[in-house]
Parts: sequence; C-alpha cells; structure tokens
Amino acid sequence: MNMRCTPSLPRALFAAALVAGGLSAARAAVIPPGTVLSPRQEMVRNNGAEPESLDPAFVESVNGAEIERDLFEGLTSTDHHSNVVPGVAESWKQVDATTWVFKLRRNAVWSNGQPVTAEDFVYAWRRFLDPKTAAKIASVYATYLFNGLDVVNGKKPVTDLGVRAIDKETLEVRTAGAVPFLPSVVSVAQYSPQPRATIEKFGKDWTKPANMVSNGAYVLKDWQVNSKVIVEKNPKYWDAANVQLTRVTFLCVEDGNADLKLYQSGEEDFMHQIAPGAYNALKAQYPGEMHNGPLYGLRFYGLNNTDPLLKDVRVRKALSMVIDREILSAKVTADGQAPLYGLAVKGLAGIAQTRYDWAEWPMDKRVAEARKLLADAGVKPGTHLKFVYNNSDYHKKMAIFAASEWKTKLGLETDMDSLEFKVLIRKRHDGDFQIARHGWVATFNDATVFLALVECGSDANDNRNCNKKADELIAQGNLQTDPARREALLTQAARLVMDDYPLIPLLQYSVPRLIKPWVGGYDDLNGMDRYRSKDFYILKH
Amino acid sequence: MSGTASPVDLAPVGRSPWRDARVRFLRNRAAVASVVVLGLITLACVFGPMLLPNAFDSVDWNLMSNAPTRAGWHLFGTDELGRDLLVRTLIGGRISLMVGLLATLVSVSIGVVWGAVAGFAGGRVDSTMMRIVDMAYAVPYLLIAILVVTVFGRDILLVVAAIAAFSWLDMARVVRGQTLSIKSREFVEAARAIGVPTWRIIFQHVVPNLMGVVVIYTSILVPGVILSESVLSFLGLGVQEPMTSWGVLIHDGAAVMAATPWMILFPAGALSITLYCANFIGDGLRDALDPKER
Amino acid sequence: MWAYVVRRLLVTIPTVLAVVTICYLLLHVTPGGPFDAERKVSDAVLANLQAKYHLDLPLWKQYLYYLNDLLHGDLGASFRYADWSVNDLVARALPVSLAIGGTAMVIAVLVGVALGIAAALRQNSAVDYLVMLFGNIGSVLPSFVLGPVLVLVFAITLPWLPSGGWDDFAPRYMILPIVLLTLINISTIGRIMRGSLIEVLSSNFIRTARAKGLPMRLVVLRHALRPALLPVVSVIGPLAISSITSAIVTESWFSIPGLGKLIVNGASDRDYTLVLGLVVLVTVLAVLLNLVVDLAYAWLDPKIRY
Repeated sequence: MNMRCTPSLPRALFAAALVAGGLSAARAAVIPPGTVLSPRQEMVRNNGAEPESLDPAFVESVNGAEIERDLFEGLTSTDHHSNVVPGVAESWKQVDATTWVFKLRRNAVWSNGQPVTAEDFVYAWRRFLDPKTAAKIASVYATYLFNGLDVVNGKKPVTDLGVRAIDKETLEVRTAGAVPFLPSVVSVAQYSPQPRATIEKFGKDWTKPANMVSNGAYVLKDWQVNSKVIVEKNPKYWDAANVQLTRVTFLCVEDGNADLKLYQSGEEDFMHQIAPGAYNALKAQYPGEMHNGPLYGLRFYGLNNTDPLLKDVRVRKALSMVIDREILSAKVTADGQAPLYGLAVKGLAGIAQTRYDWAEWPMDKRVAEARKLLADAGVKPGTHLKFVYNNSDYHKKMAIFAASEWKTKLGLETDMDSLEFKVLIRKRHDGDFQIARHGWVATFNDATVFLALVECGSDANDNRNCNKKADELIAQGNLQTDPARREALLTQAARLVMDDYPLIPLLQYSVPRLIKPWVGGYDDLNGMDRYRSKDFYILKH
Repeated sequence: MSGTASPVDLAPVGRSPWRDARVRFLRNRAAVASVVVLGLITLACVFGPMLLPNAFDSVDWNLMSNAPTRAGWHLFGTDELGRDLLVRTLIGGRISLMVGLLATLVSVSIGVVWGAVAGFAGGRVDSTMMRIVDMAYAVPYLLIAILVVTVFGRDILLVVAAIAAFSWLDMARVVRGQTLSIKSREFVEAARAIGVPTWRIIFQHVVPNLMGVVVIYTSILVPGVILSESVLSFLGLGVQEPMTSWGVLIHDGAAVMAATPWMILFPAGALSITLYCANFIGDGLRDALDPKER
Repeated sequence: MWAYVVRRLLVTIPTVLAVVTICYLLLHVTPGGPFDAERKVSDAVLANLQAKYHLDLPLWKQYLYYLNDLLHGDLGASFRYADWSVNDLVARALPVSLAIGGTAMVIAVLVGVALGIAAALRQNSAVDYLVMLFGNIGSVLPSFVLGPVLVLVFAITLPWLPSGGWDDFAPRYMILPIVLLTLINISTIGRIMRGSLIEVLSSNFIRTARAKGLPMRLVVLRHALRPALLPVVSVIGPLAISSITSAIVTESWFSIPGLGKLIVNGASDRDYTLVLGLVVLVTVLAVLLNLVVDLAYAWLDPKIRY
C-alpha cells in the first residue's frame, strides 16, 4: 500500500540553522516602520494554568515554560516565528558529528549584574539531570546529551555529562549520537542557565520574587499562586534596548468561558484558548482578533496493539478507515484543525507528511473495504469496543463522533468511559485500555518527537507496537548529516510503521485564541506556540 | 319522641390528623399547582421519549446546534452534535428525578435517625456522633467519589450512594438541633415519667415534631442532590455518554449560552420548574403537617 | 459552660487525627499518584522523588513522619505547586476565601432571615409567594448558570464590574462573587426561617403574648425570633463551611485564588500533602464553627443545657 509524500517547508530552515548558526545580533520586537506605539507598554495575558514551578529544573508544563522563557534565556531561543535564534550564545558550530561548541556573548549578565558564564550552564544542566534533584522531566531531555540517560538513571556521575566549560565564554556540548537539531533542543526552558550562588543561598525559596535572580528579558516581580505572575523588564538584559513591554501579567485561568469573559470585559489582552464549539461564533463576532494557527501537535486515538480484539492489523485498519476526518474537522470540531492521515504534522521539521492512499477514496469504498477487513478478521457487528478519554467537552464531542462512525458504518458498539486525567494516563501507561484518546505536542521542532510515539519500547509508546525495520530506518536516519537524506529515511520509517496502524491519527492541533488588536508581534504560523514577551509591543489605541 | 337526638348522633365524628393535613394541603394553592405540574413533568419524562420519534442518542451532523423548530419534532432545538434536545431533556429528567428522589430518601432517613438519636441521647453519645459528622465534613468529596467509582465500577446507584453519603450530614445537624430543643419540653418529660421506652419516645414523639423542619430541609436537599449529580457526571463519575441528566445538559449549555441560548434554556427551565414545585410542595407539606394548625 | 467549651476544644485533636488518618488512607488507595505524568518518569528519578517525599517508606512510617511534621505546625511541601509549602498556600488562600465566603454568609443571614420573617408573617399571601420566588432563585438555578448570567449582565452588557480576577482584596473584584454566593445561601436560610417562624408563631406562648395586646412586631422580635432561629443557626455552620472551603464553582468562574481551587486541584493531582493540609484546616474550621453554633443553641433556647 502506497503512501503519498508532500514536501516539507522548514527543511531549508534547518539547513540554514545548521550551517549558519551565527546571526549575531538578533532583534527582539520587530516593529514595522511607521508604527505608533502606545506610551503604556503593558500586557495581560492568560497563560492557561498555574505554573508548577519557576525553577528551570522543575518546569514541565507548557505554561510553566512560557513564563520561564521570559525570565531565563538559554544558549538559543525560539522567536515568534518558531525559528531558533541566538540567545546567550551569539554563535555556535558543529565541530564533528557529536560535538558542538557555543560561543557566549560578553554582555550577557544576570539580573544582579554578575556575568553569565559557561560554568552557569554546566552547573544548571548537571543539576537538572542529577537524579538527586528528582526532576520529573529530566529523562525526556536527557536522551540528547552524551551520557545523559545514564546520568539520569544513576549509572554515571553527573560529571560524566557531555557538557564542559572550555573557558568563561565557551561551552562544549557532546551529544548522544547525531542530534542535528541540537540548537533547537538547547532552547528549551529546562536547559536555561541557573544562578548557583542564589540557589545555594536560598534553597527551595530561590524562586520567590524577592530572591530570584534570572538572566532573561524580564525579572519576577510578583507571584500570587492561582492568581497571577507579574514580570517586569530587566534593564540589565543584553538586548534590553529592543524590549518594548515593560510589564507582563500572566493569569492562570483554566476555564475557557471565564477566559473569554475576562477578554470581553477588558481584563486581559491575550486569551489562552477558545472553548470548544465557540470558534465560529467568536470569529464572526471579533473578525480581526481571532487568530488560529496550526500547532505541531497530533490528536489521535491510541490503540492497544496487544489487546485480543485489536491484535489483528485488519481490525485496526478498519477502525481508522471509516472515520470521516473531513466532517470531524469541518463540522464537529469546527475550529480549523486540519485532518491528518499520517504521523507527521504539517510544518514539522525533518520529515515529510505521509498520507494513506485510501484517504482519497470516496467514503463508500472505504466503508466497504473496512467491512470486508472486519469480516476477514472474524469481528461481527455488535461487538463492543472499549473507549477511554479524559473528561473535557472537546474530547467528548470527538469521541461521540467516532463512536457514531463505528456504529453506523461498522455496526460496532462503543462503551465510552470518561476518566480523570491522571487515571487515564495511568491506564494508558499500564496498557489497561483498548482504545484511548491521546494527544502529543512537540517539545521541539523535529520529527523524532513524534516518531517516539511508535518506536519499540519507547517511553512515549503506549500502543505497545513494534516495527523493528522502521526503528532501524530511524536509527540510520539519525546518523545522517545531510538533512535531505535524513528526511527521506525518517519519512520512509514513518510510512512503514503507520502501515501497521498502531494508532489512529485524526487532526492536527491548532490554537484558536482572541488577541486584542493593539497587541503587535503575534505570528499565526508559530507552530511551536512559544512566545517571548520581548517580541510583543503595544500599538497606540 | 322525634325531637330528641340519640346519644349516638351527638357523638363527635372523629377527624384523623391525616385528613386534616390533606385538607390544609389542598388549601395551599401553590402547593397543589406544584403537585400537578410535577406530576406532568414526571409523566413526560417517563413516557415522552417512548412517544417521540427522535432517539436521544442519534447524532445528525447536518442539524448541529439548530434553533427550536417544528420540523422533525425538534421542539427544543438540537445540541452541538445534532441530537434532539427535547428527548434528551426528558431522558435527562428520568435520571435527575430518580437520583434526586433516591438520594434524598436515603440522606433524609440516615440524617433524621442520626440527628434524633444524637440529640436525644446527649452527653458522650451526642458528642461522638456529632464529631463523626464534623469529620465527614472535612473529607474531600472528590476523592471518595473517584475511589468509589474506580473500585466498584460505574453505576447510577453508586452516584446515588456517593451523593447520599455527603448529603445526610446537614440534615443530621439540623435534626439534632431541633431535638435538643424538643427533648426539654414537657410532653417528653411526661412520656419519660410514664416509662415509655427511649426509642419509642424518639420515633413516636420527637420525630413527628421535627417533621416541619425536616420537610423544609428535604426540599432544600433536592436541588443540591441533583446539582451534585451533574458535577459528578462532569468529572466522569456519574452518567456516561450518551446518557445524560439535567445537570449535564445545563453544564454543557452554560458553556455556549450566549450563542445558542436554547441549549441551556430548556433543561434549566425544566430543572427550575421542578425545583420550584418541590419547594412549594415542601412548604405546603410543612404547613399541612404542622400539628399546631387547626 | 466553660468546662463544656474546653472539652469541645480538646476533642478537636482526636477529631483532626481521625480525619487525617482516614484521608491519608483514602489518598493512597485512590488510583493514580502524584507523579503520574503524560511523559513517563525514569525509574531513577521516580525513586529519588519518592525518597524526597518519604513515599518509598512503608505507609505507617510515612504517616508518622507526617504526624510529626503536623505537630510542629508544618503541613509539608506541595507536589503540584512545587515551589511552595502547604503552609504558604493555605495562608494565602484562606484570607481570600474567608473574605468572600464570610461576607456572603453575613449578608445571606441578614437578608435571608428578613425575607423569611416577611414571608412567614404573611403566610400564603401573594407577598409570601413572591418573596419565596425571589428567594429561591439561588437554589433552583445552579451556580454555573447564575455566575455567567451575573457576569453577562454586570460585567459585559453593563461594564460596571470586572468579570473576574483578584487584586489584593480590591472591592470591585469581590462584589460579583459575593453576590453569587449570597444568592445561593439566601434561599436556604430564607425558607428555613419562614417554616420555623410559622411553627413558632402558632405556639402557646406567642398566643399569650398576642392576647396580652403586644403589637405583632414586638411579639416577633422579642419572643418568636429566638426559638425560631434555632434551625437557621443549625444550618449556618455547614453553609459557612461550604461557602468558605468549597466555593469551587464561584472561585473558578471568577478566577479567585481561594481554598476551593486548591482542594479540587489537590485531589485531581493527588497532591497528598496539600489535600491533607486542607483537610486539617477544614476539620478545625468545622469543629470551631459547630462549637459556636452549639453555644448559640444554648443562648437561643435556655432549656438546652450542656
């Protein structure tokens, strides 16, 4: 069965990042000439949830990381176009397949005036990956560094970690195998430098507003748990001249409707996300203010490949074939999320999108084929499917749609069980499910993030599928230095493993939100959905 | 002689207190109207879905979020998945009414017995029983609900149990307070002096005098119970899709209130009317059963 | 009387201990742990995490550690809010919830009692029905309907008040949440007051007072009100507790950093220390409030003795 490929755009970008790696003076807020700025450069933004921590080592969630990106700056940074740009490092070069050298800029200082040195990075990364620190997300990021996993698992001491300060302004990083996208990896909040003296002095309290020392464009002014986090411009930041916003308030409202009300009554400028079902109405009501860009994220249903009913690939294929993703996208979710027929999402670097060939068939043909597959596999109409999802209106709607597709087209009954999130992930990790709602969002812009979902024995693989040939291709691909060759191999691997139907891809996430027209600097095509407050500015209004 | 009435004719006709209560109740127009309305609602919920052409779980992607219309019997409109709201409201009513009734019955029974015994016994027994009530207040409701569902599986009766487990507490407190007051009254002293056994005093003398407050509090309990059920269902611990209840319908409707008001109007309307009726009936019952009214 | 108060206060200790033990067991039996995350945690890190929070010890040992900390007033470190101690979190959230819930209770009692009296004095008349109709809004419409309606009217259509948020006890952020909680509580208090007052008004000693020629108002205020308040007072305890500690819908709709949010997030994140800390707080509050209520009983009905 063939899968069609579509060329990917950021390929060129990747090559550029690899070779160039050295645009010296990155601009912060890019303001078009002739724009009149407001005298009051302050913004209130809903960040979606209370951050679990503001210590870079303990930040795990997307919203925690968002605030961290204002407070701390790593070797590299991500701008509002999702591009990797220089941060504390003004340039870098790849010395050999697994070694990189980063040159830090002279004028990078902490908010207390101390210079940011390569030692700060060594200290920070060692602390982050030290099992004694017990940072939950350490293993996810450790895989990329030399000895990273061994350190996290306690098998090697932290001093064996592949990071070394050659001198005060030069940092050498060694990777575990070829990691062509390393500049992207080191842009994450968890790899920020950390102020050793402050941490040793205050211990756990070092993240409190009175004590915190940070090196980003902003410093922590106030932190009221479950209410707001306020950051103010850091005058000592090396690029402070280009930072427009003087004060940013992060709210932590989780409920989409409460969020909307705050926006409507003028209490906030920047929503977190629209509540499901409200997209079209709000888009009509606020034409210039609705922004909806694609995210590098995949909505899918995980299938337990070891389940007696789903063991047979024909059953899995049938379940995937009959779901009409066009209706799902156009009518059910109705908020601009694109249908997906493969593993890779649009815009993802390092891989081309693949598509099942039956995606082009008319639905009748798909249903007929699916029914035949089921019959061949010996599954009779009336068989019950067990479906679990976490309680949320959005997931519920999608689930009801899927259940109705499976019922009307295949005659299968779906027993739906809405669970609390923690219980759901437990069941998924333990393999205690048949079909489960799942979603995966990129931590950095590279194909490996999504391939991890289907690799044998991967921590992210709840489906318990294993295609050794695909894994080999992936391993081969990661050894390539030529990005084109790498992309070809990874795409081939994806096609191969998706032919096993380990999961059912459905939609690509998008982030619909309302933003006041006077907020400048937002880019709808920011697939990582990462913003630094230094990229925003307020227009006169 | 014809003019004299016989002694039998002059004997007063006995009036049962229940007959008195019924007469008093019937005099309360709001309460009577409420009984009728509630009866109609119950009948509609039980028999309506059988008579209507639409099924409560049939999705129609072409009719999503439609306003009420006579076409296709979508008198209440459709929800976001194209399901008929009229049938769903009636089906939801079955669940809400059943849960409301059962959970209330259980809570009231436990609460009255607990409170009356504690209040009457006094001393250490009262203290222990009331401290247990205090402790039960502090236990997080959510945790118990999750535990119950995970251990025993999902079942509407479990929802009833989970809700009842927390709703009896207030009733117990109220009943205990009243008992403390009643037990120091003369007729209780008298009963004790005669030698009536304690349990008899409690159930035949004290409890009937509590009825007023119990009835009122019961009709306060009912909306709370129905709303608790919706919170539980939202958290995934109550009714599962596609089954629904008024609480779930209202919760879903509240989210899209501005754009599609009928989605909240009808279920909330049904709930409000039912609860208002329950309130008026409660007040009417209280007035009717009041032993002092003549 | 004082002996009674002291006895009740002492009983608080075993009560708190009992509740903490029960909740402790419940938390550990509930499926899903604090460290369950979407992305799997490595075994070494998990081992260290558990060691950090004493979770690798047998249950009874953990329990003793916890009790020991508790006796020193240390409620432990939170898992979910990793940079904060439970003491910090509770100390910040409690005043907020007290301000909103407490104010709402006070207003609800005053207005509810007044409504109940008005209705009782004109029993079965149009005034009675109307008063009860209005008073019952809070009980027939769930808070997740009333909340949005309030916001729609007062924050969006008429831009008088903010639709949510919190700014250091600034009054404008407190008004709508207090109104919501008050509406919900008025109904309960009003109806109980009405029913109870009607009962009292038909008792013998009231008849005597009226026969003596006292005006109705004096009769009510001086004679009928006290005994009639008994069931109302019974209900104030639990209502106050739930307004302060479980106003979760109000708090999440209006984005108020109070106790309700902490409790719900703590339970869903299986944040053992946070949940236990809140449980301790609620138990202490419940015991104290109920003590006050019980003392009020004695004042309202002189025949009640302890």
